[in-house]
Amino acid sequence: MLKQQLLRRAGLLFITALVIPMIAACGQAPEVQVIKETVVVKETAEPVATTEAVAPVVTDTSFTTPHPLLGDVRIRQAIAFCTNRPELIKSVYPFLTEEQQQGLLMDTFLPKSHWAATTEGITTYAFDPEKGKALLKEAGYEDGANVETGAPLFLRFTTTNAGFRQTWATVLEQQLADNCGITIARTHAPGSWWFGDTTGLSRRDYELGAFAWVGQADPGGISLYACNQIPLPSNNWEGQNGMGWCNEAASKAIIAANNTLDRAERIKQYAIVQQEFTKDMVSLPLFNRAEAAAANVNLKNFKPNPTEYYTHNAGEWELPGKDALVLGFTQEPASLYTLVESAAVATTAAQLISQLAVTSLDYDYQPVGFTKLPSIGDGATNADVEVKAGDMVWSTSGEAVALAKDVEVTNAAGETVVWDGAAPLTMKQLTVTFEYKPGMKWQDGSPVTKADFELGHKTTCDKESGATTFTFCDSVMTFTQESDTTQTLAFLPGVQWPTFYTGGFGPAPSKQPIESEGAYKGKTLADVPAKDWPTLPEVAEMPWSNGPYKIVSWEKGQKMVFEANENYGGTPAKIKTITIQFFEDTNQAVAQLLTGDIDVLGSETLGAGAEVQSVVDAAAKGKVQVVTIASPTWEHVDMNLFVK
Amino acid sequence: MATFLIRRLIQMFLVLIASAVVSYVLLYFAPGGPMTGLRQTQQSGRNKISADDIARIKQRFELDLYIPYRFTRWLVGFPAGPVTIAGQTFLADVAAGCKTPGMVRLRYPDGRTEIIEEGCEVPITFADLVDRRTSRGILFGDFGLSQVMLRDRPISTLIASRLPYTLQLMGASILISIAIGVPLGIYSAVRQYSRFDYAMTTVSFVGSSLPTFVIGIICILVFAIGAKEAGFIYLPPGNAVSNKDYVIPYIGEVIASSTLDRVLHFIMPLGVLVFVNIAGYSRFIRSGMLEVLRQDYVRTARAKGLRERTVVLKHALRNAILPFITLLAGVMAELFGGAAITEAIFNWPGLGRLLVDSIERNDYSVTMGLTMVSIFLLLLGYLITDILYSILDPRIRLS
Repeated sequence: MLKQQLLRRAGLLFITALVIPMIAACGQAPEVQVIKETVVVKETAEPVATTEAVAPVVTDTSFTTPHPLLGDVRIRQAIAFCTNRPELIKSVYPFLTEEQQQGLLMDTFLPKSHWAATTEGITTYAFDPEKGKALLKEAGYEDGANVETGAPLFLRFTTTNAGFRQTWATVLEQQLADNCGITIARTHAPGSWWFGDTTGLSRRDYELGAFAWVGQADPGGISLYACNQIPLPSNNWEGQNGMGWCNEAASKAIIAANNTLDRAERIKQYAIVQQEFTKDMVSLPLFNRAEAAAANVNLKNFKPNPTEYYTHNAGEWELPGKDALVLGFTQEPASLYTLVESAAVATTAAQLISQLAVTSLDYDYQPVGFTKLPSIGDGATNADVEVKAGDMVWSTSGEAVALAKDVEVTNAAGETVVWDGAAPLTMKQLTVTFEYKPGMKWQDGSPVTKADFELGHKTTCDKESGATTFTFCDSVMTFTQESDTTQTLAFLPGVQWPTFYTGGFGPAPSKQPIESEGAYKGKTLADVPAKDWPTLPEVAEMPWSNGPYKIVSWEKGQKMVFEANENYGGTPAKIKTITIQFFEDTNQAVAQLLTGDIDVLGSETLGAGAEVQSVVDAAAKGKVQVVTIASPTWEHVDMNLFVK
Repeated sequence: MATFLIRRLIQMFLVLIASAVVSYVLLYFAPGGPMTGLRQTQQSGRNKISADDIARIKQRFELDLYIPYRFTRWLVGFPAGPVTIAGQTFLADVAAGCKTPGMVRLRYPDGRTEIIEEGCEVPITFADLVDRRTSRGILFGDFGLSQVMLRDRPISTLIASRLPYTLQLMGASILISIAIGVPLGIYSAVRQYSRFDYAMTTVSFVGSSLPTFVIGIICILVFAIGAKEAGFIYLPPGNAVSNKDYVIPYIGEVIASSTLDRVLHFIMPLGVLVFVNIAGYSRFIRSGMLEVLRQDYVRTARAKGLRERTVVLKHALRNAILPFITLLAGVMAELFGGAAITEAIFNWPGLGRLLVDSIERNDYSVTMGLTMVSIFLLLLGYLITDILYSILDPRIRLS
């Protein structure tokens, strides 16, 4: 009996194993012969290419077929017209006045106050559902469906599951449905999926996709809007132009804007990009996020700025009758070594102990530690140089390479050329001289010297230093510290950093003694290899200051205490002690602000959440001062022009 | 007893290893990580991240090593390089990870191409691990380095900075809670359906039902902000000490970091924890006592003419307390683990807050370190409980 059962079971298994795949195969596409090549990870002069036949791979038409709806500019524009952006802003920032809400509106990928923003020639999309419906009708859609086929006007909308985005996306969904009959199905995915290495945005897995970019003084933008930056399976998903937008004029202009040192020319080129960007409506800019910072009502000279950390002018702060000030952070800095730690809280704290070379207030740059910002003809040159095979040059892909046949570079005329290995080639070479103001000193009173700058450069560019990227270091051909205050950088031919004037390499205190236990005890910082700097308490926790304050203690999990640096080379700080108190919870931080236990909550701590309403109410009663600013972070909805 | 201890210690070790594997694998599959943030940054100009940069980042977080080796390096510090025995080097060429994945271009008949990762172009061998920082392994007491929160510096520094605060808060709250909660539970059971019992059960019901963060926020609003605004005596809303001197009505000036300042900061988080713990403990003891008080042997004790106090404390409580001892098995882990929510609400710089921080900031080495210590203490707690059982209940024989 048992034997029979076993036999029956074995028979069933055999049939299952044999027949099911056969049945399944009947429904599949015929086998496709796919050629598989081994590709070199980093291209060399001689690409390796072996071929072999491999098993069938599912055939698809990834990102070559225009999206049936979003491929039509009229539908994209209709979405823009049907979106009531002021209402979206109101839904997330009810505490702002109408004027402040209007100030957050964006028409292009640059905030209205940006030096490269334009208003001329751009297409704007003020809320106008009638225009939207007319465009939809023109595209063959009426009452939410295709007039001929009856296919619904339906789109998938993907973004993160952040509460903030859920709020405005709910309103957007309602607006599109009510105003123009456009149905969107919202997916609020975890950020880890949406921003994952192989998921979400990086694989263009969306139709309408919402997220934010952070605007900067230098608009950049090549990786976002150039034609050669479209992530595709064929280029291993390189690039960030997930919309698949390829507008020749815009692409040329964005590349040109990032390859010239002439600001007037940059403004002109960015204007072209913005005009094309708004005309094609491939990405709907919604609004700048709002941020709030709050402070003790008596604190003077507290000037938070959208593009600079609020401690940039801490030395000028005044609190009449008090010589101590407490700042609140909702995150503890991981390190004060800013080469390896770039989190906002770390930079905000580190600015207290650093002599800034420049600030980047209001989307522009201002000299602070420098005597001036160098410009071409006044501290900088951009000469034509002839290059030959083997010379290190800067390729169009943004890498330092030895010039060889087939290397693509930008020549002196600004043209992209693939070098044939023989023809004479002239490229632009940028050389910049930075002049620091004299009198810079470390906290022990010793002057900042040439050796300190040399150590700063050596450590910064050491590949073992722990820094994330070395692109800038790699672009420098020669570094020369001519004196205690003068530094000259000659860049590789082809390097055309538009913001070359913002700085070179800062100093590191070469004579700072190492007192912590370990292999370097009794030595000086100059004796420590770059790879060990991040672990050294003298660098990570108690670095020497050349700024208005110096750090005197750091109690992990609780607070950092800074005191005015009596040896600061600039104007002495007015407040004697600044304490940074760490918080886990923003509510607790706000509670302490209201009870007077802390004096300042910056925008990186207060943000724009529900807690802001409490401080706005308190400000109305005169208990605290609140500054609301349009953050450089801006929300937008990207439209994928192709079907996955 | 000795046999029991040996057997339990072996079991503890196996459970510890199994827990380590499960926790490590769970965190491995948790979404997010150091590479995720790079996608949110514009990759233009000076910010461009090259393939070399990515390889370096992966190396820093050991993401370029195969998961079993990452686990064993964290657990016991192996492999840290080739194995050397009597001057002979072994396993130098064994692949422990992959520095550069192989790239394959698939060329479809319709002309489309696709580049995918396949295989490994440049492997990482045991020999390559020699230059890497390797901890001695958490089993040998080396927690390793923090990757995010205290970048590249020892996790033990982080734990040491928080441990005193957690021991202080949790120790005091547990002791006070037991000291108050147990008698309350006994009294409530003995006086079942009395006014006191109704009042106690109502209050403990509220304490058990309301989340800690709600009670915490209410306390801050009432005893800190509200009381200050009304001009009454108020308590500091959070922190372990104040950063500046302050004046409290009827008390006067309080000097920052003074004993009074510390006590004032201690009251609210302690009060919330004690309230919540008492609610739980007293309900537990009450129900245990009620069950025991109905037993025949209690009736017999009363029938023998014993004093009610002796009946309750000697006969009933000794049996009713046994399940409570089980509840206390977790106390050691609690002492170390802290009260994450309470610490966060009151900004108390303890280990609970550290654990929450480490999870939020993806500092998995810190999370794993704290988890392992908590597991160890929990197991130790159970061991001690078992031993206590045998002391309290003569019927139980560990052998």
